[in-house]
Parts: sequence; structure tokens; C-alpha cells
Amino acid sequence: MAKLKSMLAAAAIATAPGAASADCGIDASGEVNVISNFFETLELLANEMEGCETDALSVDVKLTTDHKAERERAFEASTSPYDASAIANSSITPLQAKGQLMPLNDLVDKYRDEYNVEDQMLIRFGDDVMAIAFMANAQHLFYRKDILEKHGLAVPGTYAELLAAAEVLSADDSVDYPFGAAFGGPGNWERGNEFVNLLFGNGGRMFDPATSEPMFDQQEGVEALKMMGELTKYMSPNALSHDFGDVKRQLQQGEIAMAIQWGDQARTMDAEDESTVIGMVGFAPAPAMVEGGPPASTFWWDGYVIPKNLDGDVETTFRVIMHATREEVVEQNNDITLWIRSKYVPTQYTAAIIESVNLNAPPYPMTPQAELAHGAIGNNIGDFLAGKESAEQSLADAAADYRSAAADAGLL
Amino acid sequence: MTTRSFVSFVGPSVACMLVLIALPLLGVGYLALYQSHVKTELVEVTTEVPLFGSQTRKQTRNIPQPVLDENGDPIQVWEFVGTRNLEKAAAVDGLAQTFSSPRGDAGESWIGSLYREITNYEFWGALEFTLLYTFATTPAILVIGLGLALAVNSVTERLRGSLVFATLLPMIVTPVVSSLAIFWMFLDSGVVTAMIEWLGFGKFYFLADQVTTRSVIILYGVWWAAPFAFIILYAGLQTLPSEPLESAMIDGANEWQRLRYVILPHLSPLMTVIALIHIMDAYRVFEPILVFNSSVYANSVQYLTFYTLGFEDNVHKAAAYSILTIIGVVILLVPVLRQSFRDYRPVQ
Repeated sequence: MAKLKSMLAAAAIATAPGAASADCGIDASGEVNVISNFFETLELLANEMEGCETDALSVDVKLTTDHKAERERAFEASTSPYDASAIANSSITPLQAKGQLMPLNDLVDKYRDEYNVEDQMLIRFGDDVMAIAFMANAQHLFYRKDILEKHGLAVPGTYAELLAAAEVLSADDSVDYPFGAAFGGPGNWERGNEFVNLLFGNGGRMFDPATSEPMFDQQEGVEALKMMGELTKYMSPNALSHDFGDVKRQLQQGEIAMAIQWGDQARTMDAEDESTVIGMVGFAPAPAMVEGGPPASTFWWDGYVIPKNLDGDVETTFRVIMHATREEVVEQNNDITLWIRSKYVPTQYTAAIIESVNLNAPPYPMTPQAELAHGAIGNNIGDFLAGKESAEQSLADAAADYRSAAADAGLL
Repeated sequence: MTTRSFVSFVGPSVACMLVLIALPLLGVGYLALYQSHVKTELVEVTTEVPLFGSQTRKQTRNIPQPVLDENGDPIQVWEFVGTRNLEKAAAVDGLAQTFSSPRGDAGESWIGSLYREITNYEFWGALEFTLLYTFATTPAILVIGLGLALAVNSVTERLRGSLVFATLLPMIVTPVVSSLAIFWMFLDSGVVTAMIEWLGFGKFYFLADQVTTRSVIILYGVWWAAPFAFIILYAGLQTLPSEPLESAMIDGANEWQRLRYVILPHLSPLMTVIALIHIMDAYRVFEPILVFNSSVYANSVQYLTFYTLGFEDNVHKAAAYSILTIIGVVILLVPVLRQSFRDYRPVQ
């Protein structure tokens, strides 16, 4: 459960065994403070970073699911208490647009050989390297192989097929509901994300790239939202308060037969201490919204950035990050996620992410407008899903909220 | 007391109040009057993102980029907007439109459609539940707190200590933790849901509609705040002299009459204080809203401030919501404060 985890974060860090290498070759003094989101891979990297501690150098990583508010306040202050932050393609955009990020080109050149910095790890805006990425992720379909087989159903390739399969499975008493997806989540962000997946899958756009005016409230968006409404008929009635952790638990407890879920959670389906459905869950790209179209999903990267206003030493901070994301870490922890380094060997748990990308799932847009639109969507479409108002009305409300937020941010 | 010793006693606390209460309030008011952002322009930028196995994908698109000044620093725009943030936060324009031309779907009464449209505005929807929560929990905790205090007061001395401790437990647990515990109890296969199913009533979905979600949050609020009323009223009962009670008994008053004419008048100033503090607390209800992830069914004014700051990253609009919260608390407290002044007015 994501929420429990976030609360136990502090305890977990305190009791985690010190990372393997006591010597990471950084002969510097001072402090490196990092703020980070909280999930398994980030926790591992945090332990690696803290392994760089010496008598002279202190390294501290704060893992919290409320990282966003803290990071944005810190990076706009005169000096930031955090020397680096974990980041993803949506959260980097407002920081980059405000000119708060330190270009890392010189450091990458200087340490390219020492840490074998690979080109695909570098997130570039134009010529500037703004972040170091270490993993990729995408949401895709999780399904119970045994249940689909029992009913002679093929793995759904489109949402129309998924609805048809769900209709058949609603008569099956071995699961409580045919389908699950994160239609709730903190700040309604995950609900917005499910919409964005379907919108892009349907060929829609979030906003007009020339004017930043919203476009998610047009026909493609209305259809995407109505599809979400159709899906809720096959989901738990409590679905509007479920986040991805709740969906994972539903899958692991055998309560649902199909789900849209983050790819890096695939491995936990076979985790002996958590799951009751070991070996029964299969993975496939997200269904397409239109026949022959790309999977209705976006792909993501996770990485680290360094702000311009950092308090500590930029070179030391950079080396701590590079040490944590070095090749040996990937080799020793190959199975926990889809690493970006070329040393990574794909597994059955990441095949569906790779296939989604090969089938042309788009990257989540790296623009600040997308971030604002995403928030406004997540906050408003719940009214339609709860049956309070029409899909058109919900999206019109979201568009109004987006316009207001974008105007305040100087983007409109 | 001489002026000098009065000032030296009162001075430190006045100074603290100025620095810790008045200044931050002024700061929030100041922020609410401005709007700020980094000046950006749309520039075509090529971004390169990693896929896997040394592949990347390049994309060229318009991305807002900071406009730099002559020193190469991003230009910060800081503009005075007057009451615009407050008007936006309270959806003043939208309200005016709603009142002048309500949409009114077919088959819906005028008042019904007005209500639906007004609560569709974020602030007014949040205010609706905030007020409901405040007015539902305040009388409930007074009644339950009084009942608990009378009950504990009537058991033997030896049991009282442990009873007081047990009753205080809900207040001791951090609200976010107890909210989570309650939330989990009512989830799909939580303890309560599973128990109801086991008793043969079938599956019950507490988080699936407005009435049950709101009821669970209000029940949580009562459970959490009743101990606070209890401990104050229990302390009040200890100060009740035995003479008036005994004379009431001699006059033939039954138990109900003793409660109504002796005990309650004695406790009434305390009840005002409890109502005062609880209304302030309840109006700022936040943790269960955050934990229940249920802003569709139950939202609060305080949560809006948090959301605007944390997710929308707009400190000015968040400040405007804070101002609206303060105004709301003040309005709610006026009648209670008047009652309180009356209670404590020196007898002439």
C-alpha cells in the first residue's frame, strides 16, 4: 500500500542496512541533501547514495510522496536546502520552464569515463543536459491468465475488446470485479493520468501547442472520458478512492481479473510474501482506444536534477547521483525495474513496457501546460464518474480551471 | 498592579502574538493581493528522452522557456492583482452567471439546479461539506462528551484513571494516522466491510456515494473530538460543589432535574469554550479529506489551500483560500464569542 509505505519511509531508511560500498571514491566534505518521491527503486538508490557517507561528507535522502510541494518551494528560494531531487517527465517541466535547473553538460563530460555515463541517460532540452535518468516506466495491462483462459477469451487488444471481456467476466464469481484501475489517488493525479492515457490513445491533444489553449475538452476527450465511465461499471464501486497501490492489492488478492497498472509493479504479482496469484498474472501493452492505434498509455522516465540555487557542492552532488546509478547497481538489481543503462537485461516483467514503446505509445509530454491541464482534469472528471454531471460539463469545468491556472502561471 | 508590572507580564505574550500570529496573517493577506510567475515565451525545443536498450526518442515542440534579463537570470513577474485571487477562489464571476441564468436541466427544480451548480464550484462545494461537518460534529461531541463525563464521574474512584485514559485515546493518536486506520476499515475488504458481509448483509460500499462517504468522515470527526469535550466537562464536574446538589435533593429534585437545573448551568461556560475551540478545529478539517481521496464527495476549504499550494503550485491563490478560511471562521465564531462575553461579564 503506497500510503503505508510513505509513512514508514522514515523508519525504513533508518533501519535499512548501509549500502554495500563504504567507499565510493568521493573525497569531499560537506553535505548532500536529496529530496525524492517514494517507491522501491528510489529507495534502493537512496541507500546507495547514503553509502557515500564519510566522516567528512554527510548524505541525506528524504523519501516522501509529498515531494512536489517541497521541491517547488525549495528550488524557488534564494538557496535550496536540497542539492538534488528525484524527478520524472511531468515534474521536470515547471522547473525547467522557470529556469531553475542546473545544466549538467560540463560535469557529464568530466565524469563520462569514470561512471560510464551513457547518452540515453541524459535528458536534454535543446543542448542542455537537465537531468540524469535511470529508469523507464509505462502503464500497461495486467490480466489473470487462468481466468481469461477459462472463458476462452483472448488478451484484449482494444478497449472495446476489454469491455466485451469484462462483460463476460462479470458473471464469474471467482473474482469480485472484472477490472481495476487507479481512478483516485492523492490530489486526483492518477485519475487524471488514466484520462490522459485514453485521450492520447484516441488521437486527442491536451492543449494547442501554438496558443496553449485547452484541447482536451474536444470530441476525443469526451469519448475518452465516456470510456472511463464505461469502465467504472466493471470496477469496484469504491474505485474513485483507489490509487495504484490499492489496485495492486486487488490484483494480488485475486479480487480483479484485469487492470491497468504501472509496469514496475509487475514483479510484485509474483512476490511470495504479498501475492496470492503467483504465476497467474500476465502482462500486455495497454489496449488501444482505436483499432490499430498505439496502446493507450504514455511512457515515463525517472531521474535526478540539480537546482541552480543548491546549498552544497554541485560536483559532489553529481558524483553521489552517478555513484548511486552506476552499472553495478543495475547488474545487482536487474529485476526490480526497467533500467535505462545498456547493462540491463530485459525480463518477463518489463517486456510489456518495451512492447508498448515499440507499438508507439507516446512519451508523456514534457511541458508545463501538460502538468497544469493534468491537474485540472483529475480534479474535475470525478464529478462525471460519480454521476453528478455530464462528461462535457466535467471537461468544460476542467478547461476553465486549466485556463485560470495557466493564466496565473503566465502561460496564456 | 502598576502599569510597569502589567506591561512586563503581558508584553512577552503580546510580542509573541504579533510575531507568530499577526505577521504571518499579514503576510498571507499580502500574498493574496499579488500574482507572480517567471516570464516565459514559447520556443521550439528539441527534447530527447530515453526508452530502453540505448534507444532514445527525440521530439521537437513548443515549450515555454524563461525570458532572461541582461545578467542571464530569469525575469520574475510580480504583479498586483488586488482582489482578483479572492474573486477567482470564490468563483465570483461564475456565481453571478449562475444566478442570472441558471442552466436548469429538464425535470429539475430551480432550487435543485441552483444548488448543484453552486456546489460545482470548487470553493462552494468545499464550503458546503466544511459547514456540514462543523454543524454536525459540534452538537454531537457536546452531547457525547457530557455523557462520557457523567458516566466516568459516577464510577468508583479506582477505575476512573484508566477510564479517562482509554477515553482520551482517539485524541492522542495523530489525526492522519487515525484517518488512515478508519479509511482502511471501510475499504473494499476492510474490517468493517468484511464484518458486514460475514453477518450476511452482503457487500457494502462506503466510499461509493456521497451520503456514506460523508457519514464516515463525520463519524470519524465525532470519534476524534468527543474526548476533547469529555475531558473539559469532566474537569468541570470536579469543580461542582456538593452543597447545591444536596440542597436540590432535599428539595426533592430528581436526577434529571438536578442535571438540568444544577449541573448544566454550572458547565455551560465550559460548553461555550468547547464549542468555540471545536468550531475552529472543525472548520479546518483536513486529514480525513486528504486520506479518503474523496474530494468528489467530500471536500474542505483547508484541503483546497493544500491542493492549490501543493499541486497547482500557486502560492497566491492558496493564500486567497486561506483568507477565505479565516473569514469563515470569524463569521462562525461571532455568536459563540458573544455568548462567551456574556458568560464571563463581571456581576455588577
